Amino acid sequence: MDKTTRLIGNAHLDPIWLWRWQEGCAEVLQTFRSALDRLKEYNDFVFTCSSAAYYQWVEEIDPEMFEEIKSMVRRGRWVPVNGWWVQPDCNMPSGESFARQALYSQLYYYEKFGITCKTGYNVDSFGHNAMMPQLLKKGGMTSYVFHRPCPNENAEIPENLFWWDSADGSRVMTFKIPDGYGTDGKNALDYKMEDINRRTEEAGHGMMLFYGVGNHGGGPTKGDIEYLIENLEREGYNDLEFSSPDAYFEEMLGQFLDLPVWKDELQHHASGCYSATSLIKALNRKAENALAAAEKWDTISSIVTDSAPKTKEFEDAWKKVCFNQFHDILCGCSIMEAYEDCKESEGYALNIASESYNNAVLKIARKVDTWVEGISDAVLEARHYSGAREGFPRPVIVFNPHSYEVNMPVRMYHPSKAVTDSEGNEVLFQNVRSSRSNDEHLDTLFMAKVAPFGYATYWLESDNVQADKELSGENNFFMENEFVSVELDSETGYIKSLVNKETGVDYAEDNFLSIPTVIDDHETDTWAHNVFKFHNIKGLMELVSIERVENGALRSVIRTVHKFNESYLTQEFILAKGQKTIKVDCKALWQEKFTLLKFAFPVGGKKEISTYEIPCGFIKRPCDGDEEPALNWADLTVTKNGNRMGLSVISDSKYSYDCPGAELRLTALRNVIFADHYSYRPDANFNFTDEGMNRFSYGIYLHSGEAEESVIVKEAHLFNNNIVAVPEGYHKGTLPQKDCFLYTNADNVVITALKRCEDGSGDLIIRLYETKGLENTRCYIMSKLFDNGFWFDIKKHEIKTFRVDHNLKVKETDFLEGIPD
Amino acid sequence: MAQPIKLYPHLTRVSSHYKKYDIEVPKSLLETKPKKPDLKDFPYPLPLRKKDYTCSCQGNNGVMWYGGEGGVTRYDPNTKSLYDVVMYFSAKRDLMDNSVQNIVADGDGVWVLTASGVTHIDMVKMTSEEKAYKLLEETLTYVQRHGMVSQKRLSEASNLKSALPYGHSDNDGSFSSAYAMGEIFHYATLKREKGDYAEETLRAREVAFRASEAALLLMYVAGRGDGFVARTYLTSQEPVPDDGIFFKKNGATASCINTTDSRNKNIVGLEVKADAPIPERLRRCYTSEGFEDTDITYKADTSSDEITHHYMHLLVAHEFLGCEDPEYDLLLKTAATNTMNHIIDNGYLLRDATGKPTTWAKWCEEYFNTGMGWADACLNAGEILMYLRVTMHLTGEEGKFQKAFDELCEKGYDKLTVKHFDRFFQSSLSGGLDVREEIMYGDHMLAVLSFWGLATLEKDEERKELFRQAFRSWRTSLADEYTPAYDFPYFLSDPENAKPDEERIRTWFYRFNVSRLASNVSMTTRRDLPVRTYMGGYQSLSALPTNDERFIAKLDRDPLEYKDEDSGGVFCVESCYVYTLSYWLGRFFGFIEECDE
Repeated sequence: MDKTTRLIGNAHLDPIWLWRWQEGCAEVLQTFRSALDRLKEYNDFVFTCSSAAYYQWVEEIDPEMFEEIKSMVRRGRWVPVNGWWVQPDCNMPSGESFARQALYSQLYYYEKFGITCKTGYNVDSFGHNAMMPQLLKKGGMTSYVFHRPCPNENAEIPENLFWWDSADGSRVMTFKIPDGYGTDGKNALDYKMEDINRRTEEAGHGMMLFYGVGNHGGGPTKGDIEYLIENLEREGYNDLEFSSPDAYFEEMLGQFLDLPVWKDELQHHASGCYSATSLIKALNRKAENALAAAEKWDTISSIVTDSAPKTKEFEDAWKKVCFNQFHDILCGCSIMEAYEDCKESEGYALNIASESYNNAVLKIARKVDTWVEGISDAVLEARHYSGAREGFPRPVIVFNPHSYEVNMPVRMYHPSKAVTDSEGNEVLFQNVRSSRSNDEHLDTLFMAKVAPFGYATYWLESDNVQADKELSGENNFFMENEFVSVELDSETGYIKSLVNKETGVDYAEDNFLSIPTVIDDHETDTWAHNVFKFHNIKGLMELVSIERVENGALRSVIRTVHKFNESYLTQEFILAKGQKTIKVDCKALWQEKFTLLKFAFPVGGKKEISTYEIPCGFIKRPCDGDEEPALNWADLTVTKNGNRMGLSVISDSKYSYDCPGAELRLTALRNVIFADHYSYRPDANFNFTDEGMNRFSYGIYLHSGEAEESVIVKEAHLFNNNIVAVPEGYHKGTLPQKDCFLYTNADNVVITALKRCEDGSGDLIIRLYETKGLENTRCYIMSKLFDNGFWFDIKKHEIKTFRVDHNLKVKETDFLEGIPD
Repeated sequence: MAQPIKLYPHLTRVSSHYKKYDIEVPKSLLETKPKKPDLKDFPYPLPLRKKDYTCSCQGNNGVMWYGGEGGVTRYDPNTKSLYDVVMYFSAKRDLMDNSVQNIVADGDGVWVLTASGVTHIDMVKMTSEEKAYKLLEETLTYVQRHGMVSQKRLSEASNLKSALPYGHSDNDGSFSSAYAMGEIFHYATLKREKGDYAEETLRAREVAFRASEAALLLMYVAGRGDGFVARTYLTSQEPVPDDGIFFKKNGATASCINTTDSRNKNIVGLEVKADAPIPERLRRCYTSEGFEDTDITYKADTSSDEITHHYMHLLVAHEFLGCEDPEYDLLLKTAATNTMNHIIDNGYLLRDATGKPTTWAKWCEEYFNTGMGWADACLNAGEILMYLRVTMHLTGEEGKFQKAFDELCEKGYDKLTVKHFDRFFQSSLSGGLDVREEIMYGDHMLAVLSFWGLATLEKDEERKELFRQAFRSWRTSLADEYTPAYDFPYFLSDPENAKPDEERIRTWFYRFNVSRLASNVSMTTRRDLPVRTYMGGYQSLSALPTNDERFIAKLDRDPLEYKDEDSGGVFCVESCYVYTLSYWLGRFFGFIEECDE
């Protein structure tokens, strides 16, 4: 058995943390220069470094040094690891984000160095979701290195070397760094050598010893290297060898090891990071969704209108989003000033998304036949009616970026007298109060039914609309539709009745629900180091006012205002026809220092289990009150009065929940000091992460049975991705008034990417995943984009990427699109 | 399973080929102008590009047929099964070639004009049981050799009637044992359903005994008297191929024949004892054809594949044949005891005439600690424990065998079985391969037999759970195949985790060709099945094709493999056991039942 200790010379580089990115960039340049110098000075020394973003900085700023690095990579002396753009937070990015991290990074490494990274390396990230093995594997990596959480945070995770499996069956060989990713100085190295030696003897196989100055870069020092050289064959110790993670894992694969297998997530380290600094989290969610939706329609549009896709623009945009997923950024624990930079780069990405999206759908809209016989050339240019002709309804084309058929309200910023679909059928609509003070103050909401990846034309009659005198109707606080009824309490403003009409079960039978709860959080830092529960209730927000705002044919709205000290929370509870989810739009003016704001849903009941969305899947966790990360939704399912029933909370921008028993709580705000790292907090005028105005939305969805048997994934996707309505003029066109460009038969499959291949071939890339944990489903996809379809079998929690070429041959590939040989 | 899966009469494709101007060929096929189909809004994936379809016709019940450059597609808009809605017919199993020029309906079937002739595709309604009988008949007529079945070579491509009278497979012992198990379950099913003396039962009994005896003979035929099992044997009328190690029986001894392998091992002419008596009723497999012991040449270097199949066959034969034929039961018990003793006495090896272990029959720790054996160990540990359990069950003797079983468990053999996937994954990855491209697909059957046997016979609940875990470990690759012969034993062994996909099981039987004549399909022309390339270059499909649209093979290939060729090539007819074992096993244990429409 090989017991050699592999010495991994590395430099952990935070491009943003207690400094802004400009300093991070400089730190990269200095560290890389230093590493090159050390490589020239010491023939056996090997340098390992992650993050394609850093290499791109060097390539652009110092091309000569980049050539030196290329040379060292060719010689195996410099080993790039982690085929991702940065070392991201590994809880909050979406599955599609992880795909893009791999796509752009591995292709960059392949283009520049002729290699792809085989080792995933997130040595500082604060937790690692349970789908990581699949995300790594499909990004071209077969092994993984991580450090957190430490044994004091989770003692159950195997130490040292183990197999890590995700629920789909993907597996990576994983090394848990025992003593930190960096070190310098003789004493620290001595300690590590001692510890590694002990671990080697206990485990019976070799280990890796990571050294080098990190965080603010630096890398291995001369002193480190020379001390290690002196001790390569130290008496009483296993031999040391300068090496790389790739080489270590290759060596271990050749050993006869019966390693432990871990089939769970790797949590928790910094539980406060799932909620700190709402701004960056909201931007991340918004950018992920906007780019995915825009690229889908850009792809469709480029094929339908025979125009060039904006693949390169999307690459640039995604790289910004990927960069901002760096763990210290997305986790909200960097300095406040850094988030100004993040806003700029997220804005860059969002702008590309919105422009591309708009161009794409308009190019299609221009080809839709909206001509109406009798239209004259004369245009009534009444205010806000641009393009409409008097006496004629106006066409509006609605585009659906989902692989689901949608039937949901769409807003147009004008009032209407009637709405019809492309067959002339009357469509449910409602004029609602607009956000402007001008004119009649009314917008139109109408119910749009649109095919997956399709569009539909609606006709809005807008002549001589009279404003309703009373939009809100009678002033009670009860709303209902086909699926659910909800009543708010006039004294507290909390939900006092919440009935799933399918089962008749009232979820608020025993307790009020959606209680805005203020939690004390003054004893921890931004990360909440060593704190995993936030249960110290300061108080509940008290009702200031409650009123019914709307009560129309399409939807009802009730507004509540709550107060806690000098902080205010306005909530608009919205229930529309045909919708299974109650939407709550929130406006929080927050001034409470060292607090969290949670919305509590104490459903009660027994056999409680909580389920959370993770990238391309879900995970079940015990209801032990630990703060937990989640993507779009979290769910509490209980048995109550003999019914198995669940309540899910969906969010448009939040990632943090807890479940203390049969109670689910969404953590909406966390207002702590920026970058407060085990601080003594000197008397200073600190800025706080969530102080000021916060706007966000959450949704409430009820189901019977287990969460995964419900349509929560679909509801959460619809909640987070709006369909787009485009006002159109009258013109002849080659396209019908409604169409569908791509669909799948499977209701447990969601398509997350529809794009062109990065190699410029024009091949179509379709990525999807299985949502319900079903064992093996026979599915097909049909598409007008390539005038055929294909069959596939998908396993539980599996992510699949398909590539369709011009000749209609279909390959199943991975995140790298089959580009590297 | 609470309720059996109902199998209804179903359409099965049968192709007949004609010359263009054969009198049977309808004139309309030759004279009518091809009707180009309108596929603009076709709602399902098509195997070919729409532009490739140049002709069409409508058959019974709204079924549409489309033809063109690449083959024929059948669309049934009324079927409830996603697997049947679009069917693909291609050369040369269904068509003479893929250049379809015209197509005319003929009831449920269709006439197809292609570049090289005319094919009539008949869609014959039959029950799954009828299919089992037709396949059995083909095997009995064209494939069996001295009662053994594996495959037969053809002198003309795809011409069943050109089957050569000789030809063996390296794994005759395995396939013949599996076939025998199927026919024993066949007999047991009819005995239960129709009674002991029904004509069909008696016929099934005869077939089952003949199949079982042919397989059992291989455990005796070498005549070494030490329990050594032959891979297969040939008679003096059959040429000995240059493929392996063969011993020609000469009376008291047998001598090693000159082949490349024997020369490489320097054992040409090696003499080995061969006069141990062979039970007369087993000898009849060749004496009834006019051969004597000295006409026999047997193949050695037997692997664990054969031994595993033999032991499970011994168990099944004991349960259903031995119980009504004590004389035969004694032969089963004796075979189990002799071979078990051989393996134990030789340090958990099958020892060849050279005194050295055979290449692949090793169940000892020394082998498990080698590079090759480390990943094999988990299966092999299960195999040897299964042999011991079967031997004890058959003989009722526990002393030596129980001691061996306990000793092996003491060494951790039982716990080792659950590590299959972990070790295999590591082994694959260290070679730069994915599991799917590293695995020997023949091992699937070995795992099924081993862990089915152990889960059935093990009485210690804790240990039984280990064997279930081991079975589950194999399901990581087994489950993808939806092969009933794998799935039914798993459901029996691990009922709590049994989640049968009824539609896939039904489809497996419905879409099995009614002949095992190899002639290839055209998988690589298809546009509707994505292809995935693994780390080492191996290619497989993203959707499991139905039996009638993929290559023909034994239970030793990946049914998802992206290839056109039947595993035996076009000069081959395979045996029926893949179907008959699945069918009768399913029928006997109540997983499936026949129903009227």
